[in-house]
Amino acid sequence: MMVNSIRSEFLKFFTTRLWWGLAIAMFFGGALFAVILGIVLTLEPDPEAVARGQQVVGTPLQVANSVYTAGLTIGYTLTLVIGIMQIGSEYRHKTVSSTFLSTPRRVRVMLAKVVALLGIGAIYGLISLVGSVVAGAIVLQARGADPFPGPEVLRALALSLLVLGLWALIGLGVGILIPNQVAALLIAVGVAWIIEPLAGFALGFWEFGRDHIVHFLPSQATNAIVEGVTQGGSNAAQPLSWWAAALVLAAYAAVLSAVGTWRTVRQDIS
Amino acid sequence: MTTAPAAQGATIEVRDLTKTFGSFTAVDQLTFTVEPGRITGFLGPNGAGKTTTLRMLLGLVHQTSGTATIDGRAYGDIDHPQSMVGSALEATNFHPGRSGRDHLRVLAAAGGLPVSRVDELLELTGIPAAARKRAGEYSMGMRQRLGLAAALLGDPRVLILDEPSNGLDPEGIRWLRGFLRHLSSQGKTILVSSHQLQEVEQTVDDVVIISNGRLVREGAVSDLRGAPTTFVRTSDPAQLAGALRVADVMSSPGSDGELVVETADLRLVGDVALRAGLPVWELRARKHDLEALFFELTEGTNRNLGDGSSAPPAPTERDAVTGQEGANA
Ligand SMILES: Nc1ncnc2c1ncn2[C@@H]1O[C@H](COP(=O)(O)OP(=O)(O)O)[C@@H](O)[C@H]1O
Ligand SMILES: [Mg+2]
Repeated sequence: MMVNSIRSEFLKFFTTRLWWGLAIAMFFGGALFAVILGIVLTLEPDPEAVARGQQVVGTPLQVANSVYTAGLTIGYTLTLVIGIMQIGSEYRHKTVSSTFLSTPRRVRVMLAKVVALLGIGAIYGLISLVGSVVAGAIVLQARGADPFPGPEVLRALALSLLVLGLWALIGLGVGILIPNQVAALLIAVGVAWIIEPLAGFALGFWEFGRDHIVHFLPSQATNAIVEGVTQGGSNAAQPLSWWAAALVLAAYAAVLSAVGTWRTVRQDIS
Repeated sequence: MTTAPAAQGATIEVRDLTKTFGSFTAVDQLTFTVEPGRITGFLGPNGAGKTTTLRMLLGLVHQTSGTATIDGRAYGDIDHPQSMVGSALEATNFHPGRSGRDHLRVLAAAGGLPVSRVDELLELTGIPAAARKRAGEYSMGMRQRLGLAAALLGDPRVLILDEPSNGLDPEGIRWLRGFLRHLSSQGKTILVSSHQLQEVEQTVDDVVIISNGRLVREGAVSDLRGAPTTFVRTSDPAQLAGALRVADVMSSPGSDGELVVETADLRLVGDVALRAGLPVWELRARKHDLEALFFELTEGTNRNLGDGSSAPPAPTERDAVTGQEGANA
């Protein structure tokens, strides 16, 4: 039954040391970046730079959102890693045979992984948010900014959870498509941190790319979902609305997991 | 369904099973049946296609053609697979960072089985304390026992073990033998693969022998054994052979100057030698020569040994794969 398979997936995750190592990284990653952004965004703006359009002054809401979601990049990188490892370590350590022997319906196994990863993404998101909200609120308070400018902050927090869960699914898809776990981790993190920002930057100089492609890149869509302070100069891309961005990210997750599942069902496990 | 004695055991049927990897045929039109209440040895040299066959039977590898069923159904169509079939595959691996007990808990959860069952099996396979350590530190014997515990979680009617005595010490092999005997006396169907006949010879009732992916022999071990012989060494084998012929006992010269006599009666051979005035330097019952038979049936044509006189030529990259497999053989 589906419930059994999901429980099995949760057990797989919480019976290795990975889970608490990642939990610590999530918590302190969230806290650290919240502190840094909390200090940077409450600096006195340089009026000349603002006038030239090189510096954007955020509203208190944007500042609070930015501080609380500052660790999101670290966070979604880590849930991406979790997603990759939830399947990648099964191939690496060949436990995938035992998995499919106890549950021969492979689609069910993959669905169970999807559900478990959404849950794990949410749990780790909460851990990260506790770190960043506690640390961020202290810093904002200390620097005279409003730590809770309005209920919209809660929405940004809830959407961060969604983002973290979706990135875990993107990881699952990547982990299936690149069966070598180490390669999958390197490629995924490399794309998310280096290739994609470079591509976004390069596309910014091409009018069509800036208007029609850039905001569909996964990390741009992620930023659009949580709506921080828009950075960048006049050629920066305009972000999508939060729900369109969420759909874009969900589409990445869905396509990658679906293609991965399709491959897994057909594969010989030997 | 699993507790009623009448439901114990189930027949395994393999029909025209074929698997090709590219242009290489690993399993070729294989057909055999495994009966309940008996231990069947699935034998063949390394690379013969045993693991591939078992993986097809278990739905892990998709066959190119043919069928493999357990109790009339393909593995993937069995509702509660763990209570029908328990299996431990050759390369059964465990996450090195997870304890053996947790590994079983993961599997038990997937099948909706209680945790108490996990501890029961750790007790039964004799590793209750060790299973709390992380699996990365396990010896091969320990892994085999844990694999066996995993296979038995759902109290299955059919047990499929791929090279279970690999890495076991003689003590472990004896333990395994008793354990399998006990399980088969409950009426379970047991299929055990091995690349060494002598390892399972005393354990199994039936054998299915394959070579180069094809069936070469199927039947009861007792049928395979043939007539017993006696091994005798003397100063003049030809003269002794003549004296034996007079006594109506046939014999033939062995490969090393000895005489192989077609009888189990050591005393008769000794008496004949005494009457012929010949010294007896060595006299013993020769083990029924299953090993030689096995060798004859398989090794001579093993495609993996590069002696491809009668075997289909294996592409060179296949040897690389085999070499890799040799590491866990
Ligand atoms: N995934 C695969 N791709 C290519 N060749 C394979 C694959 N799996 C097994 N083989 C080949 O099929 C043959 C049978 O292998 P296997 O079933 O493992 O034999 P056994 O278990 O009897 O030692 C070997 O020659 C092996 O190299
Ligand atoms: Mg094998």
